[in-house]
Amino acid sequence: MSDSIYLIYSLLSLSPWIASLIGTLIYQNAKKETLLQREKAHSVLNGDKLSTLSKPLGGREIKEFTTVMASVVMSPSWIQITIGRIVTLFGGEINVFTKIIDWARREAKQRLREDISKAGFDEVINLRLETSIITKTNGGNDKTSGVEIIAYGTAIKY
Amino acid sequence: MPFTNIETIPGQTIVQSMGVVTGSTVRSKNIFKDIGAGLKNIVGGELKAYTELLQESRNQSLYRMLADAQARGANAVVNVRFTTSSVAGGAAELLAYGTAVIVAPMNIQ
Repeated sequence: MSDSIYLIYSLLSLSPWIASLIGTLIYQNAKKETLLQREKAHSVLNGDKLSTLSKPLGGREIKEFTTVMASVVMSPSWIQITIGRIVTLFGGEINVFTKIIDWARREAKQRLREDISKAGFDEVINLRLETSIITKTNGGNDKTSGVEIIAYGTAIKY
Repeated sequence: MPFTNIETIPGQTIVQSMGVVTGSTVRSKNIFKDIGAGLKNIVGGELKAYTELLQESRNQSLYRMLADAQARGANAVVNVRFTTSSVAGGAAELLAYGTAVIVAPMNIQ
């Protein structure tokens, strides 16, 4: 009797970690795959629609403009946080966090591309990327963490 | 009021600068959204509740910046920048700042 209670208890306490493993391996990869497809759909022959230049190339005249913004909050899973903490002991590049931040930036930029093509703009100039972190409590033992990315720029029509 | 994050308003010339205008806000989600975000954090990926929070607060800070510009008698804001920081647990600060200017239509020669 006490054995079965112990088994149920250990399964319950392990279940978030199992969910975390499945989420890391399956859910995150599926989301990244759809992001890749969305990026492919928006690639144009003469390059990206986003640029950090303050003027459009070729001295083209701007007919219409508006400021556009896109943001995303991305979080690593428990497993990735744990791997990150272990790697921190040895130092060097923390690959799991690099990947999460890179994913968040790509997502924010892709949202900008989709927004401007929906609104009929040709290009985004002067793109800026801002990054900051979100935590639920300060310095506590809490695992909630995330990175927030804001991408903004001036959408223009030639 | 038009605002851009480039140095000019396209098609118009800057007549006068009215100084730096800022707008900021610190916002947080309610505890239920925080719990939801905590659960989503187990598997990782996007935390939609916090993305929403960010969108609300950046609209608010933008609105405050434009109100500041209007109070100074400007009719446009150029070189707008956004920065974020996390002040305390669960709250995010979003600051928008730029240069308030008076613009006039360019004379066509």
